[in-house]
Amino acid sequence: MLDIFKKISAAHGVSGAESDTAGVIAELMTEYTDDIRIDNLGNLIACRHGVGENRKKIMLCAHMDEIGFMATFIEKNGFIRIAPIGGINYTAVALTRVRSERGVRGIIAPEAKTKPADFRAENFLIDIGAKDEKEASRRVKIGDCFRFDNDQIKLLGSRVCGHPADDRIGCAVLVDIARQLHGEDIKDDVYFVFSVQEEVGCRGSKTAAFAVEPDISLAFDVTATGDTPSATPMACELGRGAAIKIKDSSVICDPTLVDELIEVAKDKKIKYQLEVLLYGGTDTSSMQMTGAGSRAGALSIPTRYIHSANEMIDMADAQACADLAAEYIRRGE
Amino acid sequence: MTREEKLQLLSELCLEFGPTGSERYVAKVIKEKLGDIEYTVDRLGNIIVHIPGEGAPKLMVSAHMDEVGFIINEITDDGYLKFDTLGGIDPRVMCGKYVTVEGKEGFIPGVIAAKAIHHQNADERKKVTPHKSMYIDIGATSREEAESLTEPGNSATFDSEFVIFGEDGAFIKSKAIDDRIGCAVLLDLLGRLPKNCPFDLYFCFTVREEIGLSGARTVAHAIDPDFCIVLESTAVADLPDVPESRRVAKLGDGCAISLRDNATIYDRDFVNFALEAAKKKGVAAQIKKYVSGGNDAGSIHRSVDGVRALAISVPSRYIHSPANVISTADYLSMSELVLAIIENGKEL
Repeated sequence: MLDIFKKISAAHGVSGAESDTAGVIAELMTEYTDDIRIDNLGNLIACRHGVGENRKKIMLCAHMDEIGFMATFIEKNGFIRIAPIGGINYTAVALTRVRSERGVRGIIAPEAKTKPADFRAENFLIDIGAKDEKEASRRVKIGDCFRFDNDQIKLLGSRVCGHPADDRIGCAVLVDIARQLHGEDIKDDVYFVFSVQEEVGCRGSKTAAFAVEPDISLAFDVTATGDTPSATPMACELGRGAAIKIKDSSVICDPTLVDELIEVAKDKKIKYQLEVLLYGGTDTSSMQMTGAGSRAGALSIPTRYIHSANEMIDMADAQACADLAAEYIRRGE
Repeated sequence: MTREEKLQLLSELCLEFGPTGSERYVAKVIKEKLGDIEYTVDRLGNIIVHIPGEGAPKLMVSAHMDEVGFIINEITDDGYLKFDTLGGIDPRVMCGKYVTVEGKEGFIPGVIAAKAIHHQNADERKKVTPHKSMYIDIGATSREEAESLTEPGNSATFDSEFVIFGEDGAFIKSKAIDDRIGCAVLLDLLGRLPKNCPFDLYFCFTVREEIGLSGARTVAHAIDPDFCIVLESTAVADLPDVPESRRVAKLGDGCAISLRDNATIYDRDFVNFALEAAKKKGVAAQIKKYVSGGNDAGSIHRSVDGVRALAISVPSRYIHSPANVISTADYLSMSELVLAIIENGKEL
């Protein structure tokens, strides 16, 4: 799964400009699914048809988009003003390398003398090394999006860090589930949805869920951990397995679905932990509440330093999420 | 329509009464203007004109009828009206302004008042008076008199003239340009659509944009369009003390096409297509640079299984005040920009 994750993670996909990522994923998924399409907003929706009677629709969802910056103005001296896309922690991103959708590299820097407490989009600039406005505007157009330019690197054991894990690791898990189920008959229809614009308010998953009308839905996304020094207490750690979501600030997961997932994990001896996230929302909520609603849950990948250029995960947790979901689908209901 | 007719139409629509939730007055005028053209009205009060184009992709073009205003929530013993706001209005632009109040029989004039500067203590002078400490004076001397004229739940709006000023009438000043300008453009376009229109068209005059983008939500759900174009006005911030990098757009440089605002990330291919269509037809257009505000596209693009969205806004100074100021040329170019997009629609 690491190779697939690296490949998906390397594609550009700031919210609203996810087409590169969709292209990479579509290529990986074609082999494993029966049909594949892109909807009006850019969501990639791939389907595996089931063979059971009274089959249900299961929607698996991971978002393709990542946080980043949009160029809004080019100064006379060639520095680029930006608008944030998604939730940016400016202290975490100051002086990080960035790269535009056209491949232009640079760094994002605060205006000189700005105190960290005053860090805001208004006093951050991207420096692409341009001499002046003329040179900069040849390479960057207003509206171009910049992403963090940090490839995934392997650390000790099965731990990996770079950008973005949020949520390309979820996308990699979905691809792995499709791979595992390839060639097997499955009972239910399974929709693999790679959604857009999660970071700006879970917009894509809403319209995708409207189209799919799932009975059961599962989101795959990153979650915070409580395992770093002085972290806010949270019973979630890197390497302790798939995190079965019970709640976050946008959703209370279907309790029966939570129990079913725990049962499968116990049966198959797949490592799991339970997740209660105190802040942050996911596509889970939009799938739960769209149309007439669905039984919704999520399998989360514990991640340190979320929304920084160095999000750290343990690949074993991601594998556990994929194994657990694949086994859940095999069982049918 | 001639230039004079277009200005007359905009003036008539802007001066009509129609705060959020009380759009029925301006809606009545729009229905009259539609004349023989067939339309439907949904449960919320949205007006929908369908121009069928068989088998073609559905394009929804919308403008909202409502304007920011006030709602009366209490009448005092002295006969003053306490009020709340409908939509975002800076309290600094309220005090001392004339308003039109929805009465029991017709409209009544009023003025928004607050404690005079003479009676404010040093602390109060330093602070912005909140709207909760202001009241509307309708010239009533008692609760009984005021209650005989109007009642809580009725609304009010700024009472302000429509003025054309500047060299050769280059600028327009009025209340409610947000978004009667979009309504005026829709009415103008209805008589000018190309014969073999490449879209199944829906022109929508929506309600309740200023609070929660509600009207557009239900219309989009009913129409289930492939594309939408939202006609709007946008704040510009082209003031002397705003640095170049924070200015949204420039008056007179044509309508602003948004890349992103607080409610929507616009469809990039649609944006590029619109810019290209404008260039081809020689219509001025600019990119809305600074990210601010939100409009009906926020609810439309997230409707049903997703709608590819575009917003075209006339740059407007002093938005949400009694005196919005726009460039006459920008207004006149809006219809041409929408037409350019529709005419080239096959390539979208």
